[in-house]
Amino acid sequence: MEIMGEIVSLVKTQSSGEDIREAIAKALDLIDFKSKNNISSVVIKPNLCYYWNASTGYTTDPRLVSAIIDWVRDTHGVDTDIKIVEADATAMKTKHAFLMLGYEKLAASKKVVLLNLSDDNITEKKVKIGKREIEFKIPSSLLDTDLFVSAPKLKIMRNVKITCALKNTFGCISSPRKIVYHPFLEEAIVGINKILRPDLTIVDGLVALGHHPVKLNMIMASTDPFSVDWTASRIMGYNPSRIKFMKIAMAENIGNPEGITTRGENIEEFQRIFPKEPVLSLNHHWNLLTRLFKLYAKATKDVIHPSLEGI
Amino acid sequence: MLNVGVIGLGKMGSLHMMNCLHIEGVELIAAVDQSRKALNKARSTGVTHLYSDYHDLLHRPPPNMDAVIISLPNFLHLESIALALEAGLDVFVEKPMAKTAEECLEIVNLVRKSGRKLMVGHSSRFVDAIQKMKSVLDMGYLGSLETLTLEEIINGPFAHGSIPTPVPEWWFNHEKVGGGVLLDLGYHLIDLFRFFTRGECRVLFASIDHKLNLPIEDSAVAVLQSTDSPTKGIVNVGWYQKSTFPQFNFRVILHGSSGYMSSDQLVPNNVYLHAIKEGAKNLCRRIIGKRIKPLSYTYFATAYYNELQHFVECVMHDLEPSVSPEDGLRTIETIEEAYKTATRTTS
Repeated sequence: MEIMGEIVSLVKTQSSGEDIREAIAKALDLIDFKSKNNISSVVIKPNLCYYWNASTGYTTDPRLVSAIIDWVRDTHGVDTDIKIVEADATAMKTKHAFLMLGYEKLAASKKVVLLNLSDDNITEKKVKIGKREIEFKIPSSLLDTDLFVSAPKLKIMRNVKITCALKNTFGCISSPRKIVYHPFLEEAIVGINKILRPDLTIVDGLVALGHHPVKLNMIMASTDPFSVDWTASRIMGYNPSRIKFMKIAMAENIGNPEGITTRGENIEEFQRIFPKEPVLSLNHHWNLLTRLFKLYAKATKDVIHPSLEGI
Repeated sequence: MLNVGVIGLGKMGSLHMMNCLHIEGVELIAAVDQSRKALNKARSTGVTHLYSDYHDLLHRPPPNMDAVIISLPNFLHLESIALALEAGLDVFVEKPMAKTAEECLEIVNLVRKSGRKLMVGHSSRFVDAIQKMKSVLDMGYLGSLETLTLEEIINGPFAHGSIPTPVPEWWFNHEKVGGGVLLDLGYHLIDLFRFFTRGECRVLFASIDHKLNLPIEDSAVAVLQSTDSPTKGIVNVGWYQKSTFPQFNFRVILHGSSGYMSSDQLVPNNVYLHAIKEGAKNLCRRIIGKRIKPLSYTYFATAYYNELQHFVECVMHDLEPSVSPEDGLRTIETIEEAYKTATRTTS
């Protein structure tokens, strides 16, 4: 008997403002998304982890967030309280990212609020992932909102292979020094997703980041962040069942790959365009290369270039 | 033996500190930084005098200290240079010499009065490829120099290295940083125009942009005109490009009446193979007890070692550094002219 699992929609867009709005509407129709009634507050969490704009494939395109705002107002009324949120990271301050990546302009034009989650009231929560207990500072705005929309970017990442929906929730942790979680990053990603679950994930695949950025011109949507990452992994050329944080997520019942269904465009079309990491890429061999470099630096006492400092 | 202190152990200060350890005749005796971690690193290299405030070092420097390397944020250059000169120290200062021409002029006068040496870190002049191009030009192989194209488009200060580290807040403060990409990268390219043309220049056109919505500019194009010859230069700088080490989007093209030469012709075809080859050479040097060539695995960052070595030689042998305080002043004057021209253009 076929198991009916989560639904993920894949929609193509031409990347203009109007097209993105239409693509979002179509993507939500395809997953039969029905918001709760009486939505009065909405939080939208883009991925702004660097000061590089959306064309680099690193951060969420403000045009996507703009289109989400339009959809919220069309669906829930113009008076809906909308916040765009992000938290400081080790190397990124939200106030600068909002300014540099065009979110201040967007907030002014759309009359929505920008909120730095690192300045929000927090609730401390602990979760156990396997044998490890992890503590998180959770911004209250995410717990109190009527609708939590995650707007991640589709990209590969050196440490954990892929980053999309589950990793975007990791970015909600209030503490700026997220680097403290890096020694057990996979567990931490799953841990935070045990506490916070976006009601809706709308992925920015307009420009995706593989071996290099590429105009994928894609919007992906689902109510299940795990299924989004499962599908995203497949697009990016990875076997999701071999990605460590996906395996931990399954063990912790964060998601179930059984019966995940994609609707809309054919996934192969995006798989074909996505620039996968070549086998010989630096990212694949980063740990080996850094180890060799450290040995070299120790043996020769050569100077370490600032770009390599701390490896 | 030259006893040296380093003030500021950020990216560039740390680099200078580590380079010092490889320069013959240099003893690194003092280091200043607000970060305890940075001071611990300095201690581990054998530095004995450690300070968290540069005033403490410059008001009462160790009696045997000869020179200081200043690698502080731009807004602290004038004050720290003044204190160092007053303390009787020779000074190597990271570029820009100061954030305004007015401050630079004050420094030029202070240096003259003090009789000490001051060299500004115009590192691009010390890039191997640039040195080779200069000698080819000086030998007349390219004929008369008609036009230069000078480009540097990189991450800028807002991108971190392999390990995420916060961007110092002063970079976001116009008052403290003094300017944007023209002051940061344009500084090097304008200096190179002066270096190749052996003279002064004026600004014919400048256009600056704020793609990152910051109060300081993040991209700029300027056209320079030599005041001593018909040579023109096109300067193109930007902080907007995501680049990954060891890629380095920097090039100079000399267009002469008899030919042209581009720095790209002198860049290794495969930067990774180059790194392996140079690394192996350094290992061999170490094994046979010779001095290594620091940073040669990068093909461009040896310039930081070369410039510091030049400064040390000048101090030890009482020679004038090839980069004078006046070079720092003239470069900033040109940048200020570009800002004025660009303002007129946009208005």
